[in-house]
Amino acid sequence: MGAGRGRSLSLYSLVKSLADNKQLLGMRYAEWCIAAPTLEADIAAAAMGLDDIGHSRVLYGSLRELGTPDVPDEPVSYANVPYLDRPWTDWTAFVAANGVLDSAFTLMIEALAGGNVEVLRSRLKKMLQEERYHAMHGRSWLRESRAASAVDQARRDAIVWIGPEDGDVDDLHGKGVLSLGVRELRRRLDEQVSGAPASTPIDWKAWDPVRRRIVPGGIDELTLNMLQGLAEKRYMPAGA
Amino acid sequence: MRFVRVHDEVQEYEVFARKTRLEALRQVGAVVAPDDELAMAYARATYDEERWVEMMIVPKAAVIQLWAPGEAEA
Repeated sequence: MGAGRGRSLSLYSLVKSLADNKQLLGMRYAEWCIAAPTLEADIAAAAMGLDDIGHSRVLYGSLRELGTPDVPDEPVSYANVPYLDRPWTDWTAFVAANGVLDSAFTLMIEALAGGNVEVLRSRLKKMLQEERYHAMHGRSWLRESRAASAVDQARRDAIVWIGPEDGDVDDLHGKGVLSLGVRELRRRLDEQVSGAPASTPIDWKAWDPVRRRIVPGGIDELTLNMLQGLAEKRYMPAGA
Repeated sequence: MRFVRVHDEVQEYEVFARKTRLEALRQVGAVVAPDDELAMAYARATYDEERWVEMMIVPKAAVIQLWAPGEAEA
């Protein structure tokens, strides 16, 4: 894409991607609400899932006030991190998503809530209060779990999602739309994910600034059906 | 009581909350967690169904009992 690593992209694409990721993260959390290692963690997974799906609804609802899509909105196009493409098969994947990815999304929400776009300033504050508990949950489980490989993958996906330096995020930061730029977002993320192994350098050439990822592909059909409510239709009587 | 479950070492926390500033804090339940942060996250996730104006947790080990049921002086 000739957008110079997304420099000229609108705020719309960033918030749409944040909403897509939040919706998927909420669904992935919910998938674990009967499979976490303790009953308390089951309940927390359900509660965090509800929070994040709620956050995605607020973010989607804000989109029409944030300009127009940079690319025509296809009927099905999720701008999510690869980490959320498939259901997690291991609790450590949950822990890393909770401790790293959720934190990265929260940092972006903090940057938007601290920026100069009024609709985001007013609507995003409550999310930050709720996310405080997600961060505590993630931090504590990260201390307990041997999740180094999942953390490395989640951290890498988060860094790629935040985007390259001098890309759209830095551009929006320069305009005051975001209160934090790429370097500061990365620094704060590293601070929260202490002890994460150093990732190999990221090759930004293949970065897709709209979907905010390098790896092609996306969610599988099962996930898509869940998100669109098609899966539940299978359980309804014909003609209902 | 000592719990050993998924975590090596956990403790019980009592959860207190109130709905208005005028009413007293009351015990609404308990959670079991390996540290304060997870206990806070669990308390909020488990007991946040109602509109509390305040919620707090206390490690059960910090509670000092003066007397138990049946032990009160006649």
